[in-house]
Formats: sequence, structure tokens, C-alpha cells
Amino acid sequence: MTTTRTPPADRLQSIDSQPDNSPPMPSQTDKTLARMRTELMTTFSAADWESYNHLVGWLRDTGVASHALKVGDDAPDFLLPDADGRLHSSEQLRRNGPLVLSFFRGGWCPFCTAELYALQAAKDQFESVGATLAVVTPETRDFPRQLKRSLGLELRVLSDVDYGVAMSYGVLFRVPDETKAHYSGLGFDFGARHGSSTWMLPIPATYVIGGEGRIRSAFVEPDFTIREEPSQILASLRRVTSTSR
Amino acid sequence: MELHQVRYFLAVASTLNFTRAAEQCNVTQPALTKAVQKLEQELGGQLIYRERQLTQLTDLGKEVLPMLERTLASAEAVRRRALEFQRKDVAPLKIGLAPSISASLILDPIAEIAKFVPGLHVELREGAAKKLVDLLLEGEINAAMVGDVQDMPDRIDDWSLFEERYVAVLAPTHRLANRPSIGIDDLRETVLLERTDCDVAVKIQQSYFPEEPPHLGHCSGHDLHLQHMAAAGFGVILAPEHMPRLPTLKTIPLEGCPVSREVRLLAVQGRRYSPALDAFVKVARLRDWSFEAADRSVPHATAATVARVPA
Repeated sequence: MTTTRTPPADRLQSIDSQPDNSPPMPSQTDKTLARMRTELMTTFSAADWESYNHLVGWLRDTGVASHALKVGDDAPDFLLPDADGRLHSSEQLRRNGPLVLSFFRGGWCPFCTAELYALQAAKDQFESVGATLAVVTPETRDFPRQLKRSLGLELRVLSDVDYGVAMSYGVLFRVPDETKAHYSGLGFDFGARHGSSTWMLPIPATYVIGGEGRIRSAFVEPDFTIREEPSQILASLRRVTSTSR
Repeated sequence: MELHQVRYFLAVASTLNFTRAAEQCNVTQPALTKAVQKLEQELGGQLIYRERQLTQLTDLGKEVLPMLERTLASAEAVRRRALEFQRKDVAPLKIGLAPSISASLILDPIAEIAKFVPGLHVELREGAAKKLVDLLLEGEINAAMVGDVQDMPDRIDDWSLFEERYVAVLAPTHRLANRPSIGIDDLRETVLLERTDCDVAVKIQQSYFPEEPPHLGHCSGHDLHLQHMAAAGFGVILAPEHMPRLPTLKTIPLEGCPVSREVRLLAVQGRRYSPALDAFVKVARLRDWSFEAADRSVPHATAATVARVPA
């Protein structure tokens, strides 16, 4: 969304503008994602605002999020490669406890990188209640690897090759032409990143899936600048683990 | 966007008939029509022209069709994997490799998917890129890995996996064997063993021999044939860097690395993906192939490494 030329904090630059082997910036865990959002939005240009309002308005008007799976639904199973091409199955990921599954848009999106830092900072807490964390990107090839390297992420980054999982969870949409023009103008080529001639993106969404495979909490927000706070995810996890014991 | 909407749209796209599509999907026609209309709204335009006698895909419909087919295939492969798993089915996976693509490249991906597809049974076929495309379209193979290809048919999905250089491979007794790198003039004065159906032949011709053709020696379409002939001192071969080599051969970089190519993965658009194929395509599109290429810079070490990789 932002051009990322003059972001408020260096560490929130999209991976495109970072030199390849730069050391990972320390993450600030004291800021909430809501606070980061406010800061990031101060960097919006007029064109960013226009594109943002258009996309969010369009997503709300067409009710794209209404297909998203909800609490109580069965969570569709999946088998996806991580950033190194190793496969992970959903059954395996939730074998020992609840799974936090977070769909993000890609390494080019500063709101996603802010969320990834926040999730990384909260990962130990998630694990301390027996949960497993996996984040899901539509990006393929070496983009997830680059993202992990440039942000110093130690997260399980799964690649939703061909969008099958985002579609199964009902969070997939085709990027409208106006949005496509805006992002192309910023130099983001989703065709190359996703390996798909049609540009699709997920609505950012965070699910907590119980060990039995049912959705226990769902955060789906068409406004891509708003993400679930890790503290909220942790509260959901605590509820899940207390009811399943 | 929902799976059932996409399924209905794909049924209309393949039958071009709403009544038959509804039968195929086991729903009433109004339900099917409504779902397709909702999908059209979300995709931002009409997908299907509906005229009295004529049902046809619009340009948007044609544009999104291949992607929706792949997305649905990918989503459904997961469900079929669970079924195959329960029934302990054999899961065949037929992969075509161009002669310049070594099987050593895909050993690790095969080992990876075998962990999740227990009945996996891989069959490898070798053929020139053109031949592999035919085999794909005939359904004789499920996926192929090739180098540069001219004139790819529309029905083939094609992903670039990685780029690699070509290097000179020769016997240690060859007069160029002690050079740190081999230049254009050297190549012009030496015998090159000819690779039949070489996918970078045009590039080599343009970079090295724009005016005068090379001195071509014996030829073969098989890399191993060429390697044996090079080891016997019959000439130099130009080979992709990843290719494992006989321990009796030496590899020397080409000056300035003017010849490189992309290695590509091919599959047929709109086909159902078996769980094994789905997993293979996904692993291939994420894998760090560059590691593979870098690992192969020392020929002797390469042969040993390759021999030890478990299949």
C-alpha cells in the first residue's frame, strides 16, 4: 500500500526495498498492531488513500468476506510447502494442540510485515499453551525465503501455491483492476510472485483451529490494515485449551 | 469466492450449457445460475455470455478459467489424498525430464512428497522438450521439467524454477583442461560434441558462432553418451551446471558466462491433479534450486554427493 520510501520505522520496509543480507531489525513488541497501523497510515500518499478506500469499499460492497469460514465450521485440511520446500500437513500441525493459521498478503505489504513481527514476538507464548503457529502467503518461488531472511523471521511460512487453501477458507478474492493498477505502479508484480496470470489475494485472516479440526476462533477483516492482536489470539488459545482439557 | 461457485462455473465452462452443468453438479439450474452470478459479481465482470442459443465464455471468463481450474484442483487434491491414504492406493506420478535435466535434481522433492503420499510410485521418462509437451497433452506424463522451449501451447502451464549457467566439460587430458576459464576464441578452435535437440543451441550459436558455425564432433541426445565421449577425448561438451558428471571429467566455466537458461516446470492446464502431482508441483515451486546448482561446482564432489542422496 505505502510506497515504503519513507516509512516511519526502517524495519517496516517491504522486502523489496531492503538490501538482501541486511541484519534483521529488532522487533518492537511494546507497540500494538493498532498503534503500528496508525503510524503506517501516516505515510499514505493521496494515491495510497484512494486505492485503500476503493479496495476496502469494494470488498465490503461485494461481501467477499461473507464466504469466510466461521467459528464451528470444519477447518479444511491442507498440505503446503514452507519457504524451503518442505511439506506440512494440517493434521500434523494440529496434532499436539490448537493451530493458529494466519493468512497474510505478502512480503511487499507493510501491514503484513508488522503483523509477522508481532506474531514472531508472541510465538513463544502461543507455544507455551501448546499451540502451533503457521502463517500463509500466496507468494511462491524464493519470495517466502527472501521474506524470512530479510525480516529475520523464525516462523513457519507456508506458501498457498495456487490459492487452494485461501479459497477453501473463503478468504480469496480477485484483485480489482483499479487496485491492480495501483500495485503495479508501485512495482509489485503479483503474477511473478504467485506464479499466476490472474492476480488474487487473501483477505488477511487469523484462525484458531482446535486439535480436533474445528474452527474455534475466526478473525476476518476486509480492511487489510486491521489485524488481530496477538494478545487476542492468545486469549482465544487459552479458551480453547481450557475447554478441551 | 467459494469452492462450489467455482465448481459450477467450471462445469458451465466445460459444457457451455447451464442445464447440463447443473446436472453434472447435481444442483438445480437456478441454484447454479445464482452461484455463477455471485461469482461474476466478485470477479468484477461477466464470465459467461448467455444468449438464447449460445453460451460462451467472455474474455474475463477465459482469463480466470486456468487459474480457477488450478485453484480448485489444488483444493480438491487434499481431499483425495485423505481417501488414497485410507485405501492405501498406489499413487503414480510420471515425470518427463529433458535430456539436459538430471534426475538428481528431483530426488529430494520425490523423497519429500513420499513422506505424505505413501503409495507414491514415480516413473521417469526422458525426451526432448517438444516430445514431452506431446506426452503431457496425451496424458502419458503428469509433469515435465525442461529448459528453454519455443512455442509453448496455451494449454500448458509453465513455471520458471531457476536459472543456471552452461559450463564446458572435458577430459583432464584436453588441451584446454588447465585453463581457469574458457573463452570464445578457444571454443571456436575446438571440437564440440553436439547435443541433439539442445535447448540452448540458438543461444550458443548467437553468443559464440554468429558468423562461422562451430566444429561439431560426434553427437547424441543423451547427456551420459556425450560425457563418455568427452571423457574419451573426442571433444568438449557444453553442459548445464547442475548436471552431475563422470568423475573422469573436468568442468571449466565459460568466460563471462554468456550462456544460461531457465529450468521450467510444465503441467497441463485444467487437468485434475492427483495428490502426488499436486505435492510435486508445490514443492518444485518453492524449493531452493539455486543451492543445488551451487553444490555442483566441483565435479568430483558432485558425483559422490549425488550417489548418496536417498531416493
